[in-house]
Amino acid sequence: MMRKIKASSAQAMLPIDRFARWVLIAVTAFSILLLIGPSLIVIAISFEPRAYIAFPPSGFSTRWYQAVFANQQLLDSILVSVRISLAVMAICLLIGVPAAFASIRGTFRGRAALNAFLLSPQMMPGMVIAIASLFFGAYIAFRASDLMLILSLSVFCLPFVVRIVMARLADLDPLLDEASANLGAGKLETFVRVTLPQLAPAICAASAFTFIEAFDNVTVSLFTSDVRARPLPVELYYLVQFDSSPIIAAISSLEIGLSFVVMLIIAKAVGLERLGR
Amino acid sequence: MTDAVLAQPTRLSLARRVIDGGGLWPAVPALVYLVLFMVLPIVTLLTFGFVTIDRGAITDGGFTLTHIAGVLGDPLVWNLTWRSFWIAVVSTCLTLVLAYPIAYAYGHLKGVWRTLLLVAIISPLLTSALVRTYAWIVILGGRRGLLNQTLLSLGVIDQPLQILNTSTAVVMGMTQIHLPFMILPLLAVLSERDRRFEEASLNLGASQVETFFRVTIPMSMPAIVAGFALVFAVSYTNFIIPQLLGGGNYSTLAVQVYEQTIVVLDWSRGAALATLLLTTCFAFVLAIVSVGGRLTRWSEVRR
Amino acid sequence: MSQLVIENVSKGFGTLKVLRDCSLSIAKGSVVTLLGPSGCGKTTLLRSIAGFLIPDAGRILVKGEDISHLPPNRRDVGYVFQNYALFPHLTIRENIGYGLKIRRKPKAFIRQKVEEALGLIAMTPFGDRYPKQLSGGQQQRVAIARSLVLEPEVLLLDEPFNALDAQLRLSMQIELRKLIDRVGITSIFVTHDQQEAMTLSDRIAIMRGGRIEQLGTPLEIYDHPQTPFVADFIGRANLIPVAIRSGRTDSPQPIHSAMPDGPGTLVVRPENLSIAEGPGPGWEGSVGFATALGATIEYEIDCGAGEPLRAVLPRRPGVAPLTPGSRVTARIRDEAAAILLSGSPRP
Repeated sequence: MMRKIKASSAQAMLPIDRFARWVLIAVTAFSILLLIGPSLIVIAISFEPRAYIAFPPSGFSTRWYQAVFANQQLLDSILVSVRISLAVMAICLLIGVPAAFASIRGTFRGRAALNAFLLSPQMMPGMVIAIASLFFGAYIAFRASDLMLILSLSVFCLPFVVRIVMARLADLDPLLDEASANLGAGKLETFVRVTLPQLAPAICAASAFTFIEAFDNVTVSLFTSDVRARPLPVELYYLVQFDSSPIIAAISSLEIGLSFVVMLIIAKAVGLERLGR
Repeated sequence: MTDAVLAQPTRLSLARRVIDGGGLWPAVPALVYLVLFMVLPIVTLLTFGFVTIDRGAITDGGFTLTHIAGVLGDPLVWNLTWRSFWIAVVSTCLTLVLAYPIAYAYGHLKGVWRTLLLVAIISPLLTSALVRTYAWIVILGGRRGLLNQTLLSLGVIDQPLQILNTSTAVVMGMTQIHLPFMILPLLAVLSERDRRFEEASLNLGASQVETFFRVTIPMSMPAIVAGFALVFAVSYTNFIIPQLLGGGNYSTLAVQVYEQTIVVLDWSRGAALATLLLTTCFAFVLAIVSVGGRLTRWSEVRR
Repeated sequence: MSQLVIENVSKGFGTLKVLRDCSLSIAKGSVVTLLGPSGCGKTTLLRSIAGFLIPDAGRILVKGEDISHLPPNRRDVGYVFQNYALFPHLTIRENIGYGLKIRRKPKAFIRQKVEEALGLIAMTPFGDRYPKQLSGGQQQRVAIARSLVLEPEVLLLDEPFNALDAQLRLSMQIELRKLIDRVGITSIFVTHDQQEAMTLSDRIAIMRGGRIEQLGTPLEIYDHPQTPFVADFIGRANLIPVAIRSGRTDSPQPIHSAMPDGPGTLVVRPENLSIAEGPGPGWEGSVGFATALGATIEYEIDCGAGEPLRAVLPRRPGVAPLTPGSRVTARIRDEAAAILLSGSPRP
C-alpha cells in the first residue's frame, strides 16, 4: 500500500517545537527590524521638507541635502575627516600587513604573544586609548591635532587590518612561496610577486574597513582632534546635541550610503561572511 | 675534515637565522608603533592618576594618592560606577537574547535570504554609532518622537512617554547599537555548527526545544562568553550613548571621565577616574571570562 | 513478525530521485547492511528510518506499527552517527545518560543504567572524561552505548568505522558484531566497504541508484550475484560479454545454460580461473602484468578485444611467476563457479 505522506524534506515536529519555532521566528524578525529600522527611519526623515523632524515625513524634498552641501563648516569637516581617514588607512596598511605576515608565517618563539599584542587595541576601550594619547601627547608637549588624531586612530584601527589580512594569509598555501623560491626568487621578490597579489582582496577589504572606522569614530576624535579643524564625527556630535533640523538626518543618510559602498567593496573583495570571523 | 666542512654551513645558517629572526622583522614597525602610541600613553595615563597635573605638565609634588583617594572616597563615583555596571549588564543580556535567534536563524537560511540577513547585520556595524544614536533620539525624542507619535495615535497611551533622558533610553540605544558585536561571534559558531549533534539529541528523545537548551546553547558557550565580554566592555566604557540619550544631567563613570578631562580639564581627576574605569572594566571582563571558563571547560580538554 | 519493515519508500530532493520504491523487511535480532557506492541512497534510507527525513511515499513499520508520521524524537530507533556526534560538553557518563534524563527517569535508575552500559562496553574507568579525550574506537563504543541504554527496537549505524584507522577497523568490526549479538538488537549498518559488510552482516542489501538491487546473505551475494553490478561490487569479478545460443554460450569455453538466446554476461571470480602456458581450449592471450602478492599471484591477461581477464593463482615457492608477454590460456576451473547473467555487462 502506498501512501502519500508529505512532500516536504523537513522532519515531523512536536507541538511544543512548532510553537517554539514561531517564537524564534518572531524574535528574529524583531531583532532584524531593530537592526535596520532606525537607519531606515533616519533616511526617511532626511527627505522632510519642513524644518523639524517628523515620521513619516510630511513630503519629499532634498532641501536638507542641499543644506549639507551649502554648509561650509560641514564640508570642511568632511574634508578633514577624509584626509585623516586616508592617513590612518595608509599607516595601518604599512605596518599592519607586514605584521600580519610575520604573525602567520613567522617561526620565531612568542608568535602567540605577538598575535595577542597586535590585536590588543581591540580589547582596549576606545576612550582609554584616546585619553592616554591625549595625556601622553601633553606630557611630551604635543597638542591635540590632526597628527595626534591620526596616530591615535591608527592604534585603534590596526587590529582590523591585522585580522583581515591574517585570515587571508592563513588560507594561502605557503608551498607557493617555496615554489617561487625554488624558481629563484628572493624573499622580498616572492612577497611582492607571489604573496602580495594573493593578498590584494584582503588588503582592499581592510582598507575600506579601516577607512570607515576612522571616518566614523567619534570617541577617539572627541579627545584628540584639533579644536579648530573638527573632523565630521565631532562636528556631528555637537550638531546632534544642539540642532534639531533634519540636516543631521541628511548627513546621517549620506554616512549610511557610504557604509553601503564600503560594504559592497568588502563583499566584492573577500565576501561579507569573512568579516564575522 | 668532513665534519668541519659539514659544520660550516650550519654555523652560517645559524647566523642567518638570527638575522632573519624567524620571520619576526616584518612585525617590528607595528610593535614599535604600538609601544610608542599605545603602551607609553597608557603608562602615562596610569601615572597621571598618581601625580598632580597642571596644564599638561607634572607639578613638583611628585607621587601622590590624593586624586585616587579623592575618587575612591566620592560616593557619587561609586553610584555612577554602579549605574555603568548595571546598564552594561542589562543591555548586554538584552543583546544576547536578541542576537542569539538571529545567529541561529542565519544557519537555517539559504541563498538570497542569507545574504540579506548578513547585510542587515553588517550594515549597522559599518554605520557610525553617532548616526545610530541620533536615530534613537528621533525615535524616542519628546512628543514628536516616533514612538510617542505611534503610541498616541494608536491610543495605547494618552500622555507622551518620557523615555529619552532616562536609563531606559540608554539601555535601549546601547542594546541596539551593540547588537552586531554580539551577533558576529555567535554567527561564526552557529552557522557552521554540525547539525548531527542536534539530530543525535532528537534521536535520543529530546524535543527541539530541549535540544536547543541542552545541546545548541551549551555547545556555543565559548562564543556566548566572547560576545558577552566584548559587548559588556564596550557598553561599560561608552560615554556617547549615555550623554546623548541620557541627557545633560545624566552621567555614568565613562561620562565623568570625559567631562573631567575635556570639559572641566581636571586631568588628575580624569586620569584617576579613567584608571578606575579601566581597572573595573578589566575586573568585570575577567570575572565574565572566568565564569565562562568554568562553563566551557569541556572545550579545552585534550586527549 | 519482522521487527522493521520498509514498504515502497521513495524520496526525492527536487528533481533528484534518491530513493525509488525501496522495500526491506528485517527479522528481530538480525543485522542487515545497506551497501552501495556513494550517492546510492543508503544514508537517505537510514535517515528516513530515524525520522530525520520524511519519505515522499511509502511506510516504515517497527513491530508492525507505522512510525512514518512520528517526529525523530518519538521513534524507538537508535542512531549511531558517522563521527559519533558525542556531545563535547558532556562527560561520557552524561552522554550515555542523556536520553534517560530527557525521559525524566529517576536519578538512581539513570546511574545504574549508565554504569551497566559503561560495563558492557568496558569503559567504566573513562566515565568522567570528555569525548575529546577518547580515541576514535572508544568514542564509537560510547556512541553505541548511548543508543543501547534506551533499549531501542532497532539500531541504525551510519558508516560507523569511517572515522577509524584502517588497522583498527577489522578488530572493531568483530568486537561490534559480538556486542550486537550479546544484546540481541536488530541493526542496520550503512557502508560502502564490502569487506565491512561481509564481516558484520547476516544479510546485505546492495543499493544502486536509489533501489535495492539484491538482498541476501554475504555468501549468497558473493556466489550468486543477480546483476553484473552486484557481481562487480561484491568481491572482484571478470565480467565477460557473451551471447547465448541454443543452451550454451559462444565463449571460448562454452558454458551450458537454460537461458533463452540473447546477450549474456559471464561472471567469473579471479580465483576461479586457471592458467596454462601455450595455446589450448579457453581464453588465449598474453600476460600483461603479474603482481606477486605473497600467498597469491595476480595476472592480467590481455585477450585481444575487451577488458583483460584477471586471474588469482596460489603461488608455489620456488616457481617463478610467468613473465609479461608469455602466451597463456585461461580456463574456468569448475563450470559450477561460473555465473551466467542475462544482458550485457554494463547496460
